[in-house]
Amino acid sequence: MARLIRTEKEVEGRYEEVWLVVEEDALEQWPTGPRDVVGRPAERLDGFERASGQAVYTADLDKPGMLHTAVLRSPHPRARATVDVSPALGMPGVHAALGPGEVEQLSAECNYQGQAVAAVCADTLAQARAAVRAIRCDFAVLEPLLDPDEAVRRGELLGDPRVRERGDYERGLAEADAVVEAEYRTQVVLHNSMETHQAVVEWTREDAVEVHISTQYVWGIRDAVAEGLGLPADNVRVVCHYMGGGFGSKNSPDDYTFIAAELARRTRRPVKCALTRREENTAAGNRNATIQRLTVGARSDGTLTALGGEFVNAVGWGGWSSGTEGPMQMLYACPNVKTTTYGAKLNLPPMKAFRAPGFVEGTFGLEALLDELAAQLDLDPLELRRLNHAEQAPEGGEYSDKNLLECYRRAEPHWERRHEVRARSTGTVKRGVGMASQIWYGGGGPPSYAWVRVGSDGRAAVVTAMQDIGTGTRTAMAQIAAEELRVPLEHVSVSLGDTDRGPYATLSAGSSTTPSVGPAVRAAAADARTQIEEIAEQRGLPKDAPVAAVVDVLEDAQILGKGARGPNPTGMQVLTFGVQVAEVAVDVETGEVWVERIAAVHDVGRVINPLGASSQIEGGIIQGIGHTLSEERLHDPATGRLLTTTLDAYKLPTIADVPEIVSELVDEPDRHLTNLGSKGLGEPPIVPTAAAIANAIRDATGADVRQLPITREEMLRALREAEARQKEKVGAPAGV
Amino acid sequence: MRLDVNDHAYELHCEVGTTLAEALRDELSLTGTKIACGEGHCGACTVLVDGAPVLSCITLAHAVGDAKVTTIEGLREHPMLRSFVRADALQCGFCTPGQVVSAVALVEARPEPTTEEIRHAMAGNLCRCGAYPKIEEAIRTWRD
Amino acid sequence: MELRQASDTTVDGVPIHGGTEVVPLLRAGLLRAETLVDIRGVVSRGVADGRIGAGVPLAEIECDPQVPEVLREACRLAASPQLRNMGSLGGNLLQATRCWYWRLNWPCRLHDGDECFAREGEHREHAIFANDFCASAHPSDVAAALLALDATLTTSRRELPLAGLYRLPTDDDRRTTTLDPGELILDVRYDKPDASVYLKAMERKRWAFPLVGVAAVRRGATTRVALAGVAPIPWLLDGFESAAPLPRNAYKVDVAKALVKRATAAVAG
Repeated sequence: MARLIRTEKEVEGRYEEVWLVVEEDALEQWPTGPRDVVGRPAERLDGFERASGQAVYTADLDKPGMLHTAVLRSPHPRARATVDVSPALGMPGVHAALGPGEVEQLSAECNYQGQAVAAVCADTLAQARAAVRAIRCDFAVLEPLLDPDEAVRRGELLGDPRVRERGDYERGLAEADAVVEAEYRTQVVLHNSMETHQAVVEWTREDAVEVHISTQYVWGIRDAVAEGLGLPADNVRVVCHYMGGGFGSKNSPDDYTFIAAELARRTRRPVKCALTRREENTAAGNRNATIQRLTVGARSDGTLTALGGEFVNAVGWGGWSSGTEGPMQMLYACPNVKTTTYGAKLNLPPMKAFRAPGFVEGTFGLEALLDELAAQLDLDPLELRRLNHAEQAPEGGEYSDKNLLECYRRAEPHWERRHEVRARSTGTVKRGVGMASQIWYGGGGPPSYAWVRVGSDGRAAVVTAMQDIGTGTRTAMAQIAAEELRVPLEHVSVSLGDTDRGPYATLSAGSSTTPSVGPAVRAAAADARTQIEEIAEQRGLPKDAPVAAVVDVLEDAQILGKGARGPNPTGMQVLTFGVQVAEVAVDVETGEVWVERIAAVHDVGRVINPLGASSQIEGGIIQGIGHTLSEERLHDPATGRLLTTTLDAYKLPTIADVPEIVSELVDEPDRHLTNLGSKGLGEPPIVPTAAAIANAIRDATGADVRQLPITREEMLRALREAEARQKEKVGAPAGV
Repeated sequence: MRLDVNDHAYELHCEVGTTLAEALRDELSLTGTKIACGEGHCGACTVLVDGAPVLSCITLAHAVGDAKVTTIEGLREHPMLRSFVRADALQCGFCTPGQVVSAVALVEARPEPTTEEIRHAMAGNLCRCGAYPKIEEAIRTWRD
Repeated sequence: MELRQASDTTVDGVPIHGGTEVVPLLRAGLLRAETLVDIRGVVSRGVADGRIGAGVPLAEIECDPQVPEVLREACRLAASPQLRNMGSLGGNLLQATRCWYWRLNWPCRLHDGDECFAREGEHREHAIFANDFCASAHPSDVAAALLALDATLTTSRRELPLAGLYRLPTDDDRRTTTLDPGELILDVRYDKPDASVYLKAMERKRWAFPLVGVAAVRRGATTRVALAGVAPIPWLLDGFESAAPLPRNAYKVDVAKALVKRATAAVAG
């Protein structure tokens, strides 16, 4: 029965109250452990298409008569533009030009670098670019606000400051035997999806459009485009079969889609609007910088008595103030916690979700702080974490499931390596081991739907309008269907990425695809399976007869199964947990840091595809290493103009920077969560990496690195500081 | 101008300044070659010119001359492709054709490359999804 | 724009060889050309004892056992594999700075403007020597190696020591090389060293320009050390007294000192 409920829905750590119609989830979970297909490694269904270049991405689309767009963007963080687009109209190949206000996303008021001001479409991209250069445009440059602390002082904030308090923080500090205070800073990081943000828009009727777009959320695009263009939602068809990476940045249509839509309307042609790499790294989102002023108080045995923090998210001109304080609030059983989080509104490009937004940054601060405490109290960092393990959610409520202690247990052999690793230090190269815990969401939620169609050849098609952004969800869905239907995996195909050709499925973000869509697929497959068994019975065949043998007489008839995602467990916190142990080497003369090994143990419920899961873990860790050591979007301090938007200056990790990675998943179904017990794995692996590396550096050298990325400059600074501290200690009179 | 691509001679017309990547994608519809940065920094556009991996996004089409161009479309039968799929050496797949092209050139020169050789030869192909460990594995096991 | 094949070493237009620098600069609007002249047919691609044609790609030099270690390693650690396949020795010597202000076409002194934005701005990758007029850092690993080797260049017009190829930009002449328009580097010669080494500090293990590159070459009792990434031109080291780091790149002095110590030790007889 359909049931209408009022519930909290979580996406990327943000909650909203929504009405949902949910259908009961009547299926029992499968018992723990690998099944015939689920829980066993499977190659990606679309691996060959992607690897061989046959997969058609949005970037590869070329429709007959398609025009190409170039966009004039503000080079200044704050400016008022005076624009005359008419010279562009006379340029070769140009079909139309748009100035400020002609679509809402084009504006003469520029409050961040990359604000779209005008746009031109032409027969070729080169012509469109030449025409944009011909636009007459003067920018009256205004003083930008760039300093996050200054923005907080002035009250230039996105939303109200967020104060979260439990217990009595001041009393907790007073009860502490040791107090550590430290300020941590994290940098702006760029998503750098290999396929840039882009869309091809075509009006198929006066009142209907087709949008091909590189996106993580076809339905979100459908609704936003329909609203923006004033069309009924079903008059917008959104298609994304293959997409080249998103990492949180591709959930919304953004300026390029609306620019293409308006140009397509005016020219009656399909229009492509694709960002260049430099535009991508200017205007397509980022992980914002943070400042974290943190305090921890503890008894001498390590029991936490107080945790406090002032968090400044340097959000930029738009986006939201993400939950940087989340780990401090949620990870440990500390009775007295007080955090205040500010979202500084600056003349810098808007942030967007980037793989566990807030928690990556906040975990770096919290987990580095805890190791500074462990060093001060001379405690084992792993023991300190065990001691403060939260049996119940510290902010109230039960966990649906939690296996963090099991993660710690499985991490022990890796942690034990630290004696041997340290012993491999030389005069100039110091080695050490560090760890950090991981907490994040990842339970997904309703609604999501799937259909399963079985033909008389015994082959099955899963139809659901989700998307596979490279995480391998297409393959995972096929595995779930194959398992439930009891057909070979190679007999299952998955049709996805088209709002006209399948029911609603959730966005591919927030580690939510598998836990949201997976149960719907299983339910649809079970529906089909029930019908197959009914047919078998009527044919006098055994219940477990091969599917192909049951349906072979059906000719054109099809068996159609339908499934929906059931509700999340009421009143329970559905979270993912884990731990990573990093081994690093530091050249103390040159400040070079390199990571030699990372062991990751995560608890994300049932694992559908161990092969794809290990790839997700490796990918998250490698992005984490870039975040920790080499990536940084810099801007000129005086003007705020961006300096590192090209991939020579913005340094992503290469294959040569990758350490040995050992990954393990607890693979215990969350017994309260859906018919699968699976949570998402897209984000958890990136959460603890930076902190584990920073803690390994402290283990190796005694230096407290407090800023990301850990450049040579930061490493050498921290080493000098540690050396001075050591001298002070040695030089101090006895007894002090 | 003429281009010899995947053992096929093409006649095409494009302006001087057109890059090989643009010619392949826009004129010949060989869209397996991807453009991810367009300025020679990421390796997604890698093709072979006389067997050597080069960046087609900063190679002038008119400067290719009589050289033989091999794109991912010309490597469809190469066992390296299957090896990438087997090892799960791709996620979003956008950089993958370029990775495969570089990997093929490596093993054609050194059929059993060491880890160090793989890392040295593949360092110009960026992968934002971080499929690197499995790319390494795919190259190590390409003949399995 | 047109592309012509050079028939001899008299070039009227913008010479192009591997194109790894010329093509991106053209596309970014930092270089304009009516005529490109493909010089691949007229510049030598040979490697002989103590002599390397300016047209040899870095990828060949990095694995040629005749080539001294310092130059091989400089090539091995330069750029990316594809760029080393494309880029020639001569072109590498003539590459422009990676200064982000210059690459983004800010009206800086190297673009004939009247300000060095890096000095007051973001300069963590910039010069620590001779940076008062322009703080750009010269990115060529290969040039540092050849400078340490005390190499000699033959151009289409003259012979000159490698050090003579470069000049610090001044108010009345902003160029960083002494090459005349149309003048081509044809080959590079050097005497065989007794020992040599190249050490490089970068922000990732591969495919990055040098924060500091240190080339050391010993012949007999004399060791010559040259640095990449520390001055607007390849820098022949004459002690660190003249270093004048900016607030955010003082770390480069520490890095350079450490690498010079190691490089000198590595080539010691």
